Amino acid sequence: MSNVTSLEKAGLQKAGRRRELISFRIGPQEFCVDIMSVREIRGWTAATPLPQSPDYVRGVINLRGAVLPIIDLAARLELGDTDATARSVIIVTHIGPRLVGLLVDAVSDILTITEDQVQPTPDIACDTVREFVKGLLAVEGRMISWVALERVLPELEAEAA
Amino acid sequence: MDPLEAIKATFFQECDELLADLESGLLELEGGGGDIETVNAVFRAVHSVKGGAGAFGLEPLVRFAHVFETTLDEMRSGRLATEPAAVKVMLRAADVLADHVSAARGQGVVDEAGSVRLVGELKALCGGGAAEGGADDEVVMVDTEVEDDGFGDFDFTPVIVEIDAPAEAAALDPAALPTWRIGFKPSRAMYAKANETALLLRELDRIGACQVALNADSLPDFDALDPEESYFSWTIDIETDQGEGAIREVFEFVEDDCEIVVEATGAGAEAPLDAPLSFDTPSEPLDAPALAAAPEVEVVAEPATPDGDVMALLERAKLAAAEIQATAPASAPADAPRAAAPPPPAAAAATHPADGGDAKTGAGTTIRVDLERVDRLIDLVGELVINQAMLTQRVGESGLARSSTVSVGLEDLEHLTREIQDSVMAIRAQPVKSVFQRMPRLVREVAAMTNKQVRLTTEGENTEVDKTVIERLSDPLIHMIRNAIDHGLEKPEVRVAAGKPAEGVVKLCALHRSGRIVIEVSDDGAGINRERVKQIALDKGLIAPDATLTDEETDNLIFLPGFSTAATVSDISGRGVGMDVVRRQVQALGGRISITSIPGKGSTFSLSLPLTLAVLDGMVVGVSGHTLVTPLTAIIETLQPKANDVRLLGPNGAVLAVRDAYVPLVDVGAVLGYRKGETDWTTGVVLLVESEVGGRAALLVDAIQGQRQVVIKSLEANYQRVEGIAAATILGDGRVALILDVDALIDVRRKDARRSAAPPAARLPLAS
Repeated sequence: MSNVTSLEKAGLQKAGRRRELISFRIGPQEFCVDIMSVREIRGWTAATPLPQSPDYVRGVINLRGAVLPIIDLAARLELGDTDATARSVIIVTHIGPRLVGLLVDAVSDILTITEDQVQPTPDIACDTVREFVKGLLAVEGRMISWVALERVLPELEAEAA
Repeated sequence: MDPLEAIKATFFQECDELLADLESGLLELEGGGGDIETVNAVFRAVHSVKGGAGAFGLEPLVRFAHVFETTLDEMRSGRLATEPAAVKVMLRAADVLADHVSAARGQGVVDEAGSVRLVGELKALCGGGAAEGGADDEVVMVDTEVEDDGFGDFDFTPVIVEIDAPAEAAALDPAALPTWRIGFKPSRAMYAKANETALLLRELDRIGACQVALNADSLPDFDALDPEESYFSWTIDIETDQGEGAIREVFEFVEDDCEIVVEATGAGAEAPLDAPLSFDTPSEPLDAPALAAAPEVEVVAEPATPDGDVMALLERAKLAAAEIQATAPASAPADAPRAAAPPPPAAAAATHPADGGDAKTGAGTTIRVDLERVDRLIDLVGELVINQAMLTQRVGESGLARSSTVSVGLEDLEHLTREIQDSVMAIRAQPVKSVFQRMPRLVREVAAMTNKQVRLTTEGENTEVDKTVIERLSDPLIHMIRNAIDHGLEKPEVRVAAGKPAEGVVKLCALHRSGRIVIEVSDDGAGINRERVKQIALDKGLIAPDATLTDEETDNLIFLPGFSTAATVSDISGRGVGMDVVRRQVQALGGRISITSIPGKGSTFSLSLPLTLAVLDGMVVGVSGHTLVTPLTAIIETLQPKANDVRLLGPNGAVLAVRDAYVPLVDVGAVLGYRKGETDWTTGVVLLVESEVGGRAALLVDAIQGQRQVVIKSLEANYQRVEGIAAATILGDGRVALILDVDALIDVRRKDARRSAAPPAARLPLAS
């Protein structure tokens, strides 16, 4: 009995767990994060800038009484600053115990994948890619980069170092 | 959490309360106050800890508590005087007991050698036979009644009964079953806890044939009858082969609330009973409605009372039941007889253990609530306040007339929300007693380590402050008290030589002052040796050699990082962190610390803390298009700088002349990086602020927008600390505004100055 169960488990593990991802656009590139780490998606509201902060930290906004830091993901990934408009989107994500808003251009899709579909990031000579991209996905001819959320916050980066 | 763990957690919570009661009781005895009731309270505290520990099989704890209890019992029975020497041993025993409890909880370890030594000392106090009794686990303590007048205010005299006794008695006549005589006198507390004599008797009947006699002698006339009092006692003769343990088990749940004596009377007991009763066939049917309607007269409604007077009484009692019920539940049943007890804390100590902790008796007055629920409520109320403010602003923008019903309704709403907020905050407010209570032990330990004689006096223990403040108050206080004893107080011989009593006094005092709580730690020691402090500061390069300092400034040097006056680094306070750490801890709480010292007379540290960490009165200011909040407590005054009051100092610095004193000017916009380039010092408004250490600075902002109470929101929760910013808040328009950290702001400026200026000037916050 137990043998069968563990065999089944092994089979499942080989195929990889099924995962749902939310994909979004920054300029021409497409990225995604695990849907389980996303709490909500909301429109852009002007943020209160924080002094002495890296330029990819756009500031903080009021999320129903909580102070939510907004990270300009484009700036964080060194793709240039986002020109935030009314059409820009904030993806509110859990990063460890924290809630962080990611500023992106638009949310495009919800993808259902198995883990074996994730390709390792190709070895290219770019520190930013190595740091922030966990893997690549090929979906309907589009290439989507899986963002390593835990690297996004400045001080978590410091802890890792 | 599995149920047992949950019960255990409750036990440990109760232990904390009991240990606190124990300590305050002992301290009262030590101070010469207290009476037999205090001794009883102390005894009951230890007894309850032991009882609970026994239920969870916490062996080392039970063993120690047992010896402690035995010694206390000697004191309770008057064989051991409540003299200071004995009480001192007991205080130390209480410390060890607390260690045992912590160890049982899995926190910390017990100093085994110390524990064994104290067991020895406790036994030595008992002396003679009692000490043997304490050591011998095979004897069982039995409480027997001394005085029969007790209406709740009863007393125990313990006797020791050998467990072997029944076996011997039974051996005399092997044919008959051993018989026991049980004296049972319930107190009103037992009934208050919804226990029933009839049920207990029925239970007894199950383990052997019973002969029950009621003693209604103490029943007064109806006019004098207290419906909640317990007047009856019973004598039960029981024939059973199950032994004393089984009999006691019947009374297990009420043993704290009644007097009970179990005696072996051997087979074929004498002494005919006055009024034999059999519970198999109750002589009177239970009057269920009467019992249900008036539980407080259940003593009277006891079925087993053939007495005619009592029956008549019952009839009258039934008539009065409705009336009684209208008044009775309002008064806390178990506390009433002790209303005449000594004032708190003795009264609190006396009532709590007797009633099994306030969670049970005080059901009507206090409840235990998970802190998380309260915090959630506070968060929600915070959001409500913000939402209400937003709504008000929107309505204001919509151009509705002020007299419109909407505006009037909104005003009411504002009052309501403010009241709700205040009430919710009050839930979290707690007396500082819980922190102060930990200090006597610390004082004893430090005094022992430093060979000094110290007496701690406390004042204002009931001053209330938010729980978060209380939790974080303990560390700085511990540090300050250690410091006061280690550095403040002199050695006994030095004190005597200086004409002071050998025993030093450390005073801990709390009070409310203008919306803040002030806590003072003072000693009557030598005061600060200013010459030495200055020399040390000089040696460590903390001040410039030519700096001229006032006495106050010199005293405040001890708060500088890395300053430690201890000539020898001791275990206690001289770890080179000292007062600098205390100051930082206090500042992290939004508080200030200051010191005043009189040579030869002693020093006083005074802490001023906000009552809550959740709201703050602030001044809303505009800087380069950004809205910022400055804590009102830091602001001394606001002023419009005149061009000739601003003096340039150095390449890009400036000072402001305020009544002949030059105060450094800080351009907030530039320090926070909101604007670059030259500062125009003459436009805008200046906030004259005082940092926690008393240093002054003038903050230049563009405009003042108003003053309001804001809800503090942490930046660290979702982000991280930002230099120069204490926290964030949400304004009426729903946007986040940052709260300035005045001290850090001055520091940022100073750091910049240090970076640019090669030989650092005196770094002291001595601006004025």
